[in-house]
Amino acid sequence: MPARRKPHLEPYEVFRQEKDGDPMRHGGSVMAPDPELALHYARELYGRRQESTRLWIVRRADIGVLDDPDWLQPPLDRSFKKPGGYVMREKLDQARARSGQAKRIAGAGRPKGPDGG
Amino acid sequence: MTDPISLAPILRPEERPTPLFADDSLTHEERYDAFVEHVHGGSKVEARDWMPDEYRQSVLRFVEMHANSELMGVLPEREWIMRAPTLKRKLALTAKVQDEAGHAQLLYRVAEDLGKPREQMYQDLLDGKTKFHNVFHYPTKSWGDVGIIAWLVDAAAIVAQQALRDSSYGPYSRTMKKICWEESVHIMHGRDVVVTMMNGSQMQRDMAQEALDRWWGPLMQMHGPRTPREKDRDLYWRIKAKTSEELRQEFLGIYVDRIRELGLVIPDPALAYHTSEATWRYTEPDWQELRTVVTNHGPRSQARLEFRRANLEETAWVRRAILGAPAAAAA
Amino acid sequence: MTLDHALEPAVLAPLEDLLLAMADDEFVIGYWDSEWTGIAPLLEEDVAMSSIAQDEIGHARAFYTLLGELTGRDSDAIAYDRPPDAFRHCRLVDHPRTDWAFTIARRYLYETADAVRLAALADSTFVPLAGLVAKIRREETYHLAHAEGWLRRLADARPEGRTRLLAALRSLASDAATVFTPFAGEAQLVAAGILDRPSAALADDWRLGLQPLFDELHLPIPGPPADPSTGRTRHGDGFRWLWGEFTAVRNLDPVATW
Repeated sequence: MPARRKPHLEPYEVFRQEKDGDPMRHGGSVMAPDPELALHYARELYGRRQESTRLWIVRRADIGVLDDPDWLQPPLDRSFKKPGGYVMREKLDQARARSGQAKRIAGAGRPKGPDGG
Repeated sequence: MTDPISLAPILRPEERPTPLFADDSLTHEERYDAFVEHVHGGSKVEARDWMPDEYRQSVLRFVEMHANSELMGVLPEREWIMRAPTLKRKLALTAKVQDEAGHAQLLYRVAEDLGKPREQMYQDLLDGKTKFHNVFHYPTKSWGDVGIIAWLVDAAAIVAQQALRDSSYGPYSRTMKKICWEESVHIMHGRDVVVTMMNGSQMQRDMAQEALDRWWGPLMQMHGPRTPREKDRDLYWRIKAKTSEELRQEFLGIYVDRIRELGLVIPDPALAYHTSEATWRYTEPDWQELRTVVTNHGPRSQARLEFRRANLEETAWVRRAILGAPAAAAA
Repeated sequence: MTLDHALEPAVLAPLEDLLLAMADDEFVIGYWDSEWTGIAPLLEEDVAMSSIAQDEIGHARAFYTLLGELTGRDSDAIAYDRPPDAFRHCRLVDHPRTDWAFTIARRYLYETADAVRLAALADSTFVPLAGLVAKIRREETYHLAHAEGWLRRLADARPEGRTRLLAALRSLASDAATVFTPFAGEAQLVAAGILDRPSAALADDWRLGLQPLFDELHLPIPGPPADPSTGRTRHGDGFRWLWGEFTAVRNLDPVATW
């Protein structure tokens, strides 16, 4: 039978939802000897003023953290994954000129479509 | 417009959008310089980031003194929780002192995550190795003090705390935003207590004035003596954003009129706004008194530290009972 | 709108007594437990206990306000402008907070007793009271969870936590049931459907309700009060001290607005 871990104070991270539909956002942390007291303390420090509609309370030791820049901000080009990686102004102007379309006037009031206009 | 990310393969390492100081292939000096540039550029530092020792120690000292001040700040007002004269004031004052305990919790958490255990911080406070702000070393004598402290001491503190919302240390900056939001109700409560007294009987007006007479000196000392911007290391690291004098001027700019409009007299005949210089002039605060007080020689310094020590001893059995570890003074 | 137009005189007097008793119970326990603000065993617990104490004062305020609507008096005046002997809180809450074990033991005994009392008022024919009780019961679930959690922790903390808890329960034993001190005219309240059962029946229910947890934790269930007739009228030096504190500022000028 595994030895019971002796209770000691450890940090529990508290995530809160301000109002219905909002994402859970990190609020802070509380020290507690067990998950039950952590719940009470989270309620007190992050909810006693009726400022939250939901709380998630997680033992910090149970949270996996990824902050390696090589994984999250790898150095090689990834612009093909972003709308900003597709710059077409010159090409579009070229094509329009060839097809005889009138020069586009900026702010003519036509809504831009999802493909950039 | 060209997407900067698409230029990434041809950018030099230092131009890439990740904090350079995190790169452990650089020398300490290179990382240090990159770190300084990072905070001077307004960027944040997080708990797990690499940081120069001086930065870590400076933040820790700053946050620890702030946490200590909230913990000790509870004591002057606590007695009055039991003496509040109406149900509403009882609730408001209990909630205010509760908030101070709550703020101590938030701030000790920030300091703990920088590597110092709570019980060590308590011990250093009791041993006089770390300090707490001057205003919490003074006695409270009447309900008038309750109003003046909740209004003006909190107001002076908030002026400082609002500036700290921009602190370079991320966890502290975020904590300060929460604290500032929570403090706003305290000033409302304090001002309500004072204005109610000033609209009341002569006895009540005299009580409020007498309290202001005693608290004005400590209030003016609270933000500290003027230090030149370039010598202030906490400013250098962007741990704080404003100088002592800037904070004091800001406090005076907002609160002098609000105090006078209630019929209270500020006990400094030299206090006046000089339009030509766009600055408040005042009788020089007693910096010797400040030094004496914050080194724990104030009127209530020892009594309050002793009270905390006794309280920690009396409640130690509870921590021992619910925590397995022998080092159980982790209140 | 006056609230008493539907109440007969025979019912009004005991109803006022009941409201005063409940208000005073919440007021006094709230005051004692608010003393932990700033000095509880754990900083996080400090905030929790203070919230609970504030809730109790808030409940007291609501009861005093309801009583005030019946009697034409202001809630602060009812709460504060009385000598100590005019208070009608039960002896269970009369004692100072003492140590953490005493506070927790007393909280648990009081919260469980109050829960039985509130349940007996949940369907009260006196509608304003039923409405208030519904709100209070929702807040009280938190108090009960907190008190029970701590009772378990102390009961399981051998030897010191458990020893202190048992000592606290021993010293509280003869006062625990004073929450259910019978009062004059309660039969009229039961007949009118304002209270659903008399105090003695509620006390029995309360003891039965304690059994599962107390058996599990091997804790002694409190017996009947030592001195039932003075359950709400005999107050000790601790309460007299408290009364001196909470009237100190007010008595400087009884007609002043604070």
